[in-house]
Amino acid sequence: MIFYAGPIVLGFLLGFIIGSRIKVNPESKLNFTWGSYITIFIAALVAAYFIGPFPYYQDVPLASGFVSAIVGIFVGKVTLGRYVKDDTEH
Amino acid sequence: MSTILKLFIFPAALIITCLGVNTILGGHITPGGGFQGGAIIAGAFIFCAVVYGLKDSPIKFSHDFMGRMESIGALAYVFIGVAGLIFAGSFLYNLGVDLYGIVPAFIKTIFDYPDPTHAGVIPYLNFAVGLKVLVGLSAVVIAFLGFKGEFDEDGEEIEEIE
Repeated sequence: MIFYAGPIVLGFLLGFIIGSRIKVNPESKLNFTWGSYITIFIAALVAAYFIGPFPYYQDVPLASGFVSAIVGIFVGKVTLGRYVKDDTEH
Repeated sequence: MSTILKLFIFPAALIITCLGVNTILGGHITPGGGFQGGAIIAGAFIFCAVVYGLKDSPIKFSHDFMGRMESIGALAYVFIGVAGLIFAGSFLYNLGVDLYGIVPAFIKTIFDYPDPTHAGVIPYLNFAVGLKVLVGLSAVVIAFLGFKGEFDEDGEEIEEIE
């Protein structure tokens, strides 16, 4: 199976940048557990399947940039997305 | 905002962000590109900022972050343009495609975009523009949401004159 590195790498990078900014304030009433993140991931996979690959792309029947973006978001959230009070002031 | 909106918006914003990334990455072969994809991602952020408020929004763009991303986007664009000027004599020359056959093979390999179309520097330019647009539009909305009104020298709010 062929994998095209371009959309996978750039999609992951953009997703990582956005994911690193997901910082849920513990004092807020938002309560998104790991289960909700897994649900979002499955929903993203389904969306990627229905969007389909770009024209001329014949590697996988998914939008590979879409999938790598959601993976990048979660990796960015896990690695850099910690809530620090002073860092998140607008 | 209602509880239903607060439950729905954050997951939806993540999916919308992925759609924006997909739009940026398909800019060279499908409708869309850096500006459109960046605007979609900014839309996801704005969605969160409006529903949760700036303080409680789960996606937080700090001033430093926006400054860095804006600078990286602009510098990447200029770097790709100047690379064309240096290696081919034309600003923004597509080094990865090299239609005129005037660029050394290793330079062509460096700027090649690894996908079936081999679009050269175009996807990289889309990436840079996408970064700039997403923080630019978000900054406008943050400024509007964070606006507390006009105050005079004594610290009292100036009332609007009709």
